[in-house]
Amino acid sequence: MSNINGKVYAMNAITPMKPWKTWILRGFFLVLGAVKPLQADLINLSFIEFARWVIIPRRKLPFLGDGQKPEDLQYDYLLFFSNFNGTWNQYIDAFSAVLSKGLNAIWRWSEKFPGSVPVTPFKEYIARLQFDTDYYYTAYPQATANDLKSAHTVQSALESFAKKSEGLGPQQFRDEYLRFVIEVQAHLGETGEAPVVF
Amino acid sequence: MSKLNPTDIQGFALRGYNLPLARYVFLHMSSADRARKLTGRLLGKITTGQRWDKAKPQSTLNIAFTHKGLASFELPDATLLSFPVEFQQGMKDRGGILGDTGLNSFEHWDEIWLSGRVHAWVGIHAQSPSALADCYADLLQQIQETEGAEVVGYQDASAIKINGDFTPKEHFGFTDGFGNPDYLGVERRSQPGQGKLTPEGAWAPLATGELLLGYADEAGELPVAPIPHIFAANGTFMVYRKLHQNVATFRQRLDEWGAAYSGGKEKLAAKMVGRWRDGTPIELAPDRQDPVLVQDPQRNTNFTYGSDAGGTKCPMGSHVRRVHPRDAFGFNGRLINRRRITRRGMPYGTYVPEGEPVSDQDDRGVAFMVLNASISRQFEFVQQQWIDYGNDQKLGNDKDPLMGNHGGRGRFVVQGDEDPANPPFICSKLPNFVELRGGDYFFLPSITALGMIALGIVDPR
Amino acid sequence: MANQSGSVYGLTILSPIIDDQKAVPSHDLQIRKYLAELPVGVDSPFALAPGTHLARLVVMDDVIYVGMPACEEHLKSKYLVFESNCDGDLESYLAGLAKTVPHHLDAIWGHCVGYPGARDVDAFIGYMKACQIETTFYFAAVNDKSVLQTLRALQTQRAVADFISEHQGHDPAHLQQEFTGFMQKLDSTPAPRPGAGNIERDIKTGGRNE
Repeated sequence: MSNINGKVYAMNAITPMKPWKTWILRGFFLVLGAVKPLQADLINLSFIEFARWVIIPRRKLPFLGDGQKPEDLQYDYLLFFSNFNGTWNQYIDAFSAVLSKGLNAIWRWSEKFPGSVPVTPFKEYIARLQFDTDYYYTAYPQATANDLKSAHTVQSALESFAKKSEGLGPQQFRDEYLRFVIEVQAHLGETGEAPVVF
Repeated sequence: MSKLNPTDIQGFALRGYNLPLARYVFLHMSSADRARKLTGRLLGKITTGQRWDKAKPQSTLNIAFTHKGLASFELPDATLLSFPVEFQQGMKDRGGILGDTGLNSFEHWDEIWLSGRVHAWVGIHAQSPSALADCYADLLQQIQETEGAEVVGYQDASAIKINGDFTPKEHFGFTDGFGNPDYLGVERRSQPGQGKLTPEGAWAPLATGELLLGYADEAGELPVAPIPHIFAANGTFMVYRKLHQNVATFRQRLDEWGAAYSGGKEKLAAKMVGRWRDGTPIELAPDRQDPVLVQDPQRNTNFTYGSDAGGTKCPMGSHVRRVHPRDAFGFNGRLINRRRITRRGMPYGTYVPEGEPVSDQDDRGVAFMVLNASISRQFEFVQQQWIDYGNDQKLGNDKDPLMGNHGGRGRFVVQGDEDPANPPFICSKLPNFVELRGGDYFFLPSITALGMIALGIVDPR
Repeated sequence: MANQSGSVYGLTILSPIIDDQKAVPSHDLQIRKYLAELPVGVDSPFALAPGTHLARLVVMDDVIYVGMPACEEHLKSKYLVFESNCDGDLESYLAGLAKTVPHHLDAIWGHCVGYPGARDVDAFIGYMKACQIETTFYFAAVNDKSVLQTLRALQTQRAVADFISEHQGHDPAHLQQEFTGFMQKLDSTPAPRPGAGNIERDIKTGGRNE
C-alpha cells in the first residue's frame, strides 16, 4: 500500500455535509466549471496532474441488492481525490497560501471545517479525514505535471521544426535550428533514465 | 507585532557580525550537573542582539545545542519530545530527505559528525588571531574549571584575504553574502529585494516568526515550537553544514565550458550563479559586471524575474534564482515567503588565486549555517525541492549547478536568445562541485532559555 | 459533462464489497492483500490494458466521524473505490480492461456484490456503470493528450535534450545530417511502455514528515 508512485501522490479525503448544503456546493462547482478564469490559479499552481471532487448524495451509494444492506445515512459526503506532485506538506502549504478562498468555498460546507488559513489546524483536519490508497498506478511515474507540459511543448516544436527544415541549406538550417533550441530551451529538464540511448 | 527584545536574543541570529575570523567549537557533555555549571559560566559572555553603539567588540561568543545536547542536560522528556521531528532525528538521519546520498552521504563525512557526540556548537567570531585565541582560551578555562564538557573538535574559518585585504569572496571566486532576508522588528541595514514582495511590487520585511520562535509567521500563526513557550521564544534553529569545495574541478570545467561558450567564461560563471563574480546580479546586468550597481544597496538585490520568464538573462536553474525565486512562481511571491532562510557562513582553508595550482583534495570550502524557525519547512524544503530537484523551476530533475549532488550526471541549461553573445548552451555531466562533509541541526536558545538550562528549571506545563 | 475534461475521462466507481461473516479473511482484506501484491509498473493491469493515465484502488472502510457536534454514523458495507483518469470513451475503456486483464478484474471485483465476471464484457460494463458515481468537478492539467501521445512526448523530450547537448557547437552541415538520422531513429523507436520509468531517485520524498 502506498500513496506515492514515482513523483505523484494520491490523496483521498472524505468529509460529511448536511444535505441542504450540498446544493450550494454544486452551484459553486457549476460556476467554477463555466467561468474559466476562476480556474486560473488552480492551473498556475501546476503541481496537480488530476483532481476531482465527487459529491455522494446519502441515498445514492450504489445498491446492488443480492444481500447488500441498504445504507441509511444522514449526511451527504464529499469525496476528494487528488494526484499531485511534491510532498504532502508542500501541497497543503501552497493551497493555503494562494488558494485559501477557493478551498474555503469548497469545504466550508463540510462539517467542522476549520478554514484553510492558518495552515496548522487545516493540516490537522485533512490528516483526520484522509484515507490511504491501496493501489496506485501511473503510466508516467517519472513525470510531473510540469514535465508533461514541457514534453508536449518539445514534441510539437520538434514536429514543426522537422517540417520547416526539410530541404534547407546548411546556413538556413542552422538558423532554424537555433530558433528551435530557443523554443524548447526552458523545457529540457531531465525526467529519468532513457531506456533507449539517442 | 510585539517589539523584539534584542538583549534576549543571541546576536548571531539577528545579524551577521562581519568579523573576519571564526572558530566553531564542538562540545560533548557527559554530566548534566557540570554542563549546567558551564552554561551558567558562559551565560554572561554570550553576545546578544544588542546593537554595538561604539566599535565592534574584539570577539563574540554564541552557543547552540543538538537534540542530544539538550538531552545531556537532562531536560524533561516532555520538553525534549516536543521539539520538531527533524531536530530530534538530526541531520544525519535526514539524509534521505535532504538528498545527502552518494558523495554527500554520511560515509564521507568527517569523523566528528559520525559518532553523534557533538552536543553543542560554540561560535567564536573575532577581529584578529589574538582576539580569537584569547576568547578560545577563556572558553577552555571555563570548561576546565567546571569540567562541564569536552572539546570533540573545532572548525577554523576566515574571510578570504586577497592582496592583504579581507573580502566577502568564497573559494570559487564569487562574492557572497547578498540577500539575507529582512524580518519585521529586526533592525539591520535592510535593502530592497531582501524581504517579500507586496502586491504593489514593493518589498516588505518578512514576518518575524520566519526566523524567531514565539512570533507570528507568514502563515498567520505561531510556528511549531517546543514547550514551555518561555523556553522556545526568541530562540531559533540552526543548520550547520561543512561544505567542501572542489575548486580544481570547478576551475577546470569552467575553463572547458567557457571556451565553448561564446559569451565567455566569466559570463558562464555568472549564468551558473545568477551573479557575476563581483556580485552584480545578472538579471540587472546581463552583459558585464557593474561595479557601481553592485556597490549600491538600493539596487544590488532589488530585482524580480517577471520580465525574464524565459530565463534568457538569468537562467531558470541558476543558483540565486533557485534559492530565492522572488516572483518567478507567480502569485506575487506568496509561494516562497515561507521558504526563506538566513545564511551565515565563512570560508575555511587556504585560498588559491586563479591560475595557480590547486587540488580538490585540499581542505577548503565553506562552513555554512542556516537560521530559520522551521528546519523542515524552510531549509530542508529548499535543499530538497530547489537545490537537488527542479520541478518548481519547471526543470524536471535538474539540480542546482553549483551545489547540486550531481554525481557526474548533472545538466545545466543556459537559456539564450538570438544574440550571438548570449546563445543557448548546455553544460553536461556536471560533477559535484560541492561535497558535504558533515553537520547537524542545532537549537540556538534565547538568553532566558540559556538561563533556564543553567539553573535546571525547564518545566513543561 | 462533468465526468469529462477535454479528451480525458474521470471515472469514479464505488463497488460495495461483499459482507460475509463466514469469509475468513473477510472480502475487503482479501482485496487488500491482492492489491498489496499487484505490480504497479509495466506489469500492472492498467499498463497492459489501454488508456489509463493514472488510476487508484482504495478500500474505503467507512465514512469519517469529524467529532461533535457532527453526528456519528457508519456505512453498512465497505466499498472498493476505483478512481481512474483515462482516455476517451467509457465503454471502450471498460471493454479494453475486460478483454485484456479479465483475471485481475475477477480477482479484485470478485469480492464485490453483484459482480458478473469480466468474461461477459457487456455485463461487466453494465455492472461498472451501476456502481459509477458522477464526478462533480474534474480537473486535469493536461486534458488533450492520450497516454500514448504522452509517453512519446516524454521520450522525445529526453531525446531532444540529449541531441542538443551532444551536438553543441557542431558545424551546420554535419548537424543537419545528424538531425536527419536522429529523426529517423526517433520515429522508428517504439514509445516507452506505460508504467515504466520509475527511476530510483536518491531523495526519498513525498511524505508528511517533510
